[in-house]
Amino acid sequence: MPPRTTRTTGRATRSAAPRPPHASEDDPRIMLDREISSDLYDPVPPYPTQTEREAEFYTRGDGEMFLNVGPHHPATHGVLRLVLKLSGEQVVDVDPVLGYLHRGVEKICENSDYYHVIDQVDPLEYVSSLFQEWAAVLAFEKLMDVEVPARAEWIRVLSGELLRISSHTLFMGFLALDLGGLTPILYSFIERDEIVEMLAALTGARMLFNYFRIGGVNGDLNHEFLSRLGDWMSRAAKQTEANAGLLNENEIFVRRARGVGVLSREMALRYGVTGGNLRASGVPFDVRRAHPYSVYPALDFNVPTRLEGDALARYLIRVDEVRESIKIIDQCLHNMPDGPVMAKLPRLLRPHPGRAWGAVEGPRGMLGVYAISDGSDQPFRFRIHDPSFVNLETVPALLPGNLLADTMAIVSSLDPVMGGIDK
Amino acid sequence: MDRNLKRRLEARLEAQLRGPIRQRQDETEIRIQPGDVPDVLRTLHDAVDLRFEILADLAGVDTGEHMQVVYHLWSETSPDWLRVIADGLSRDDPRCPSATFLWTGAEWLEREAYDMFGIVFEGNRDLRRIFMPPDYTSFPLRKDFLLPDDAARSTGEGVRHVERSHAPAVVADDPAAGVRRAPAS
Repeated sequence: MPPRTTRTTGRATRSAAPRPPHASEDDPRIMLDREISSDLYDPVPPYPTQTEREAEFYTRGDGEMFLNVGPHHPATHGVLRLVLKLSGEQVVDVDPVLGYLHRGVEKICENSDYYHVIDQVDPLEYVSSLFQEWAAVLAFEKLMDVEVPARAEWIRVLSGELLRISSHTLFMGFLALDLGGLTPILYSFIERDEIVEMLAALTGARMLFNYFRIGGVNGDLNHEFLSRLGDWMSRAAKQTEANAGLLNENEIFVRRARGVGVLSREMALRYGVTGGNLRASGVPFDVRRAHPYSVYPALDFNVPTRLEGDALARYLIRVDEVRESIKIIDQCLHNMPDGPVMAKLPRLLRPHPGRAWGAVEGPRGMLGVYAISDGSDQPFRFRIHDPSFVNLETVPALLPGNLLADTMAIVSSLDPVMGGIDK
Repeated sequence: MDRNLKRRLEARLEAQLRGPIRQRQDETEIRIQPGDVPDVLRTLHDAVDLRFEILADLAGVDTGEHMQVVYHLWSETSPDWLRVIADGLSRDDPRCPSATFLWTGAEWLEREAYDMFGIVFEGNRDLRRIFMPPDYTSFPLRKDFLLPDDAARSTGEGVRHVERSHAPAVVADDPAAGVRRAPAS
């Protein structure tokens, strides 16, 4: 491995700021200026490079500089650190640093029993946690050959599509926010708040629902949920158009989003990108249609695709998907059968040894769970595939050549949620 | 279950298959040797009657006796998910060819499997830890990883100093924690 030839900083010479008069020399809470080493602000890691790619990245060329974005940066959607290599204002290369939110959820799940796994996976994608539960229960139901009552499946679709709308609306607001538009996020939160209150009436929680169960859902639809839903549905379509119009007709937004971060069809497939990001590049892959689960085969909806593959296309796909989701909710309300919402299952689940893979279409792409049972009451292996993880992987390929100001537009248009990425 | 897919796989991959093709619900499962991974994946991706273009997942598995690398693939030619298990990697020195020549996106998935299981993917140009700190020495998802906090043993060397814990705790090994093994299946 070649040694790193250059280091970035000469921060040792930074001028010593005068200490505040109340600071005591021996107060351990106060970091004296001389203790702040140059490493603190140094994006270059303080250890020898480990791989060919890392060595290549941290070798600084002529006129290039490194810049840390994050881990605490308002536009990184969580705690993501992007080390940017810049030439002037142009991005030359990127090294995303992950792991700041790593909690070892897979290991925790392998040490919890089957019922407890569902509340462990909730905080992964905290913006749309029902889908993470859905993938887990789908895999477990396949593992145990559980027959889910029809009404439970319809309720899952109904609550899932509501949450998809909430997640997409929030995405649009944050994308605009990262491009400097402050207004759309306020309207997004109005929409999201209504949906979240609705789901709180159904599930009892606003964000981490813990609602799906192996073999059904935790409770039937109730009066408060349905009355809130009816109220919201009466203006949802109109409100969506109004919110979208705020951005679609905004010239600054459109001109900043069009043509940046173009993900071609071949590249999207090679990277394993899924969800709206893949459909914005022209591949009509939606798990709800490509590998149907639950009651999606009985529903009438389209899979919108676009060919441009840029940030604007990724935004417009989400707008189209919100419209499709409203259609699906309407069909759920008209077609939902009566009946029980839970299958009869023992209190302690011990599935036969075996393997199962369950995948659902979340708002960010395909959420998959690979579960292995060894016959005990805990999963032997519980693998979570998160779509944001793979979507974020395209960042080092999308950013080079763009301006520093566009980096956040591109990252934001991929809609990553760090809770799911870091697991 | 897609019986047709089973026939096509048998015809295309006869030499590389280890054990029978298993089908259950909407999944088809094949087992191969780690050394055959590039050939098999290339065939699955390119053959006109297979065309498994979407890599749905790449995961490491520790069965307690050996390691596995598990690929989940999707193709428009079949209604089934295809699971490819590269079986029988040694637990002491697990090595497997990389899939990055076909799917660039496998790079981070392989980094994750390396980080969690220590599986070395030959041909991956950026095989370093992705979630755990760079000086970390254990592989947390292995079955012999002790849960009483192994992380406390890390000195944090290599982590930027604001994030470093000052006095690394010494944790005694827990003799009660044994290796959990999967039944041979």
